[in-house]
Amino acid sequence: MTRGPAILLPFLYLALFFAYLFGPLIIMAITAFNSAGFPRVSPWECLTFGWFGKLAQDARLLEGIGNSLIIGVGVVLIAVPIGLAAALTLSQVGPRLRASLYTVFIAPILVPGVVIGLSTLIFWDRLGSALGAGYDTLFYDGIFLTIAGQVTFIAAYSMLVFLSRIQRFDPTLTEAALDMGATPTQAFVKVLLPFMAPAIGSAAVLAFLASMENYNTTVFTVVAESTFTTVLASKVRYGLDPSISAVAVIIVAGTLVAATVFEVAKRRQTRAASGLLALDRPALKLIAHPVFVAALLAALVGWVAWTGANHDSSVCEMRVLEDKRAVQERLEQERRERLRELAPAAPSQGGSQGGGAGGAFAPGSLAPGGAAPAAPGGAFAPGSLVPGGAAPASPGGAFAPGSLTPGGGAAKQPGGAFAPAGLAPSAGSD
Amino acid sequence: MTGFRAFLAGFVDRNGLPVAIYLGVAVTIWVFLLVALPQLAMLDFSFRHNLPPSKMGGPEDVYTLEQYRYFFLGSEIGPEGWNALDIGVLVKTLIAAVAVTLIDLAICYPVAYLLAQSARGAAGRLMVLALIVPFWVNEILRAFAFRILFGATGVLNELGMSAGLWSAPIDFVGEDVALYAGLSYAYILLMIFPLYNAIESLDRNQIEAARDMGASILQVHRKVVIPYAKPGIASGSTMVFMLTAGALAAPQILGGPSNLWFTQIVYQWFNDGGNWPRGSAYAIVLLAVCIGFVMLMMRVFRVSIGAIGR
Repeated sequence: MTRGPAILLPFLYLALFFAYLFGPLIIMAITAFNSAGFPRVSPWECLTFGWFGKLAQDARLLEGIGNSLIIGVGVVLIAVPIGLAAALTLSQVGPRLRASLYTVFIAPILVPGVVIGLSTLIFWDRLGSALGAGYDTLFYDGIFLTIAGQVTFIAAYSMLVFLSRIQRFDPTLTEAALDMGATPTQAFVKVLLPFMAPAIGSAAVLAFLASMENYNTTVFTVVAESTFTTVLASKVRYGLDPSISAVAVIIVAGTLVAATVFEVAKRRQTRAASGLLALDRPALKLIAHPVFVAALLAALVGWVAWTGANHDSSVCEMRVLEDKRAVQERLEQERRERLRELAPAAPSQGGSQGGGAGGAFAPGSLAPGGAAPAAPGGAFAPGSLVPGGAAPASPGGAFAPGSLTPGGGAAKQPGGAFAPAGLAPSAGSD
Repeated sequence: MTGFRAFLAGFVDRNGLPVAIYLGVAVTIWVFLLVALPQLAMLDFSFRHNLPPSKMGGPEDVYTLEQYRYFFLGSEIGPEGWNALDIGVLVKTLIAAVAVTLIDLAICYPVAYLLAQSARGAAGRLMVLALIVPFWVNEILRAFAFRILFGATGVLNELGMSAGLWSAPIDFVGEDVALYAGLSYAYILLMIFPLYNAIESLDRNQIEAARDMGASILQVHRKVVIPYAKPGIASGSTMVFMLTAGALAAPQILGGPSNLWFTQIVYQWFNDGGNWPRGSAYAIVLLAVCIGFVMLMMRVFRVSIGAIGR
């Protein structure tokens, strides 16, 4: 038998698979803490929490999240009852009708989201114009349209959840209730609904999440409004920025907390079922309680957030800025030397000024002042490459007068003076 | 009609009037107001001219095949023959969707099998949880993660270059590698769960019996597991195919500048082109082609549509 190494193969495969599943997310999460202005892991610049601060100030994103929450609640309130009704209807009809009804009910899941979005938009637009409704009515309201569009297919998700639950329902329970004199409505409310309760809960969560993360349908139906996903999509399309990674970090962290609490609760449930709950040890009982775990995790998240809010990465970011400037200057210096070698015959005018300055600062110790007057453009270039979009713009402005002054010594002073000015915006955004 | 009335009477009788009304109203709203009528409105709109709102309903508002003609033949002024650009994009989208579906099937089948047949209790639950967690992060962020991975200065290029595998950055985005990887990643869950559900209910004794009879591992899969899991495979493949063909976010974010996804053309007609009837016609074409393709595949592999979603 070749059982030895072969038995490891499945584990290796699973490990690879989960690496594929989590790798991209982990890398994205790491970029949220790098101060580099472009989301990347290497070169690593500084540990920063500034991108989270930037998120909290993003009014458009906050507005989008607000709209998404409203839409999510609306979708849950409509899609879950529809899904339940569809599942109950399916469970009552004969096999032939059931098959064709099932095809109709399942179709919205298979129809591309783009098509659902378009058709919803057109239908309500046509209906509105046929009724002569104005543009400020429901027919043209992005939030209403988005709810309508999303319910179309999210109701089918809910239906699937209910169908799997209803398969385990014992119809004799309803019959017993009816025999005892309950009306069909009472039997529905007191027997069937309580049985479906867990499924209603999970269908609601599923519907809310599906609504929050939908893009394909929403992008058409949302018209002039915006949602969480449409704001994110436009951010991603028009420029990569680590604050998008920060959004992902928040979502992943929330998910992990929820998943952990869920798992703890589940374990408790199975233990309770098998009578293994540590009733004799109150301390253990407390620690294993889902609420306690949730509180613990919440405290952990709060601590990280607090540490992050107080973490000051500006000193490190300044150093990175200086390093970049130094590199830039070295390149500039080399370029000038090459130019001088290429044109030794004409050491006139520009050459004399630049050369003079270069000569005065040749040792390189005073490089920041020396290069700036000679090539202001070059000095600005690192600024535009530098992290923290907002920060470099103002140092550039503060630096400009310095680069205009001819004297190397004078140029050096604004350079020093600009440091605190450069700190200000990034500290503010933390 | 009497049959229907009898059915209705039985329905009300069984559920009581309030519940029967609730069921009837909810299902009717869904099927007609949210699903059927919008689709019909779109179909109707796709046969119309692109008119300003003031002229709608006027004498010029007549049915036309112009929008479909445009899809097949291109603009009137342009060169004769087929609208090679748009048809090409549609074909490319379909081929890519099939490729993504096959990649997902290949990746997910072993995972679903291992999960369903070996993982039990807490470990199994933990793995299922680990499968779900990445998919609570939305589609756009997932695509964004792949941008970070595959970009010119992305992690993959940095790794490859520092390891000396290649010297200049590879344009993964332009070559659509990033798009395929991102799309395959995006719909993994939709492939794994139908497979998992199908394989989980397979009696382990069947596999052991086959092993005892001398079947190799490959034979066990080909003759026992795969035929048994066929509805799951069909269900997962259909969902992945339809969602990939209808994807919009991932192609917008990960697609190369010169490569269009068919949904992007629809989007352009709607938002940038301002031609809703043409956008509708293109959406209808997409829907019809996708459904036709899925039906064909179901016929070829002899699965019924009732298997979908199970």
